[in-house]
Amino acid sequence: MTAKDLSKALNYSISATGNMEGTVTDAYVGDLLSDVMGNASTDSVLITIQAHKNTVAVASLIGCPVIILCNGRSAPADMVEAAESNGITLLETTDTQYKAACRVATLLGSI
Amino acid sequence: MLPAVLAIEAFDRGLDIVALTDHNNGRNLPAFSEACSIVGICGIYGMEVNTIEEVHMLSLFETLDEAMDFNDYLETTLPRFKHSSKLFGDQMIVDLEGNEIGQLDMSLYGASSLSVEKLVEQVNHRGGMIIPAHVDRPSDSLLANLGFIPDLPYSAIEAIRIPCEADVHGKTVVQGSDAHYIEHIGRRFCYAEVEQVGFQHLRKAFLLGNVSYR
Repeated sequence: MTAKDLSKALNYSISATGNMEGTVTDAYVGDLLSDVMGNASTDSVLITIQAHKNTVAVASLIGCPVIILCNGRSAPADMVEAAESNGITLLETTDTQYKAACRVATLLGSI
Repeated sequence: MLPAVLAIEAFDRGLDIVALTDHNNGRNLPAFSEACSIVGICGIYGMEVNTIEEVHMLSLFETLDEAMDFNDYLETTLPRFKHSSKLFGDQMIVDLEGNEIGQLDMSLYGASSLSVEKLVEQVNHRGGMIIPAHVDRPSDSLLANLGFIPDLPYSAIEAIRIPCEADVHGKTVVQGSDAHYIEHIGRRFCYAEVEQVGFQHLRKAFLLGNVSYR
């Protein structure tokens, strides 16, 4: 599904719109960015609590069109700016990573 | 920030000892070493290692040779992926004057395969000083990533705020600038009571707790 449809269905708070036309086919839950870099697949939603701009750089490197920040963590201004300039949709929620992952999985038809 | 600029600025701001600790590498230490000699400041040669737990640890050495030797070893523990300047900035190697003499192709952004414990063992074995960096920072620190400070033979522990609220197992807490830009140089520092300005004397001051804060 597109980043646009996913964002709409999740109804999480949108901190950066990014390129809403990106395709999402998978998801990755991770907080160690070195692990994310090694294991996340392209066109994944990154579900994380790492609220800083390096997360955007890593997402961009892999080709993750959407980042979901969980546990109420908020993106600082430089992270939002980085997301916008890299065309990445940045969502925020108070949901835990487990809850967010379950919701994404349902929407992607994985479960 | 050029290695020579670090040496000059540190000297101008009244620091007696300054360490250069680039992220996961020491390729700019030779230029830094030259600069420190010329400027007349005591330089410590190190790197900020990103461990497998993504904890930053300051690995410090007395001599340039020891540091470069450790750098060669560290490079073998880093993941091999190509660097993206667009996303992570340039990885330049410069000479004393700041002219670019090379670029690092291999990304320094990843995590070493070394754990905190293994790194502590390696640095101590090589005669260096190992100091967990900014333990109370909300990311890339022992407290953020592990939730506690493991009881290991560190030379000291670096914190942003004094006093450090975590259990530091009797180790001396030190403060440093973690300067990424010129303006940051000397923004945080501490005093060490030493007989002479030098690496071993500094190590002794840390061991004995002869450190005070501004």
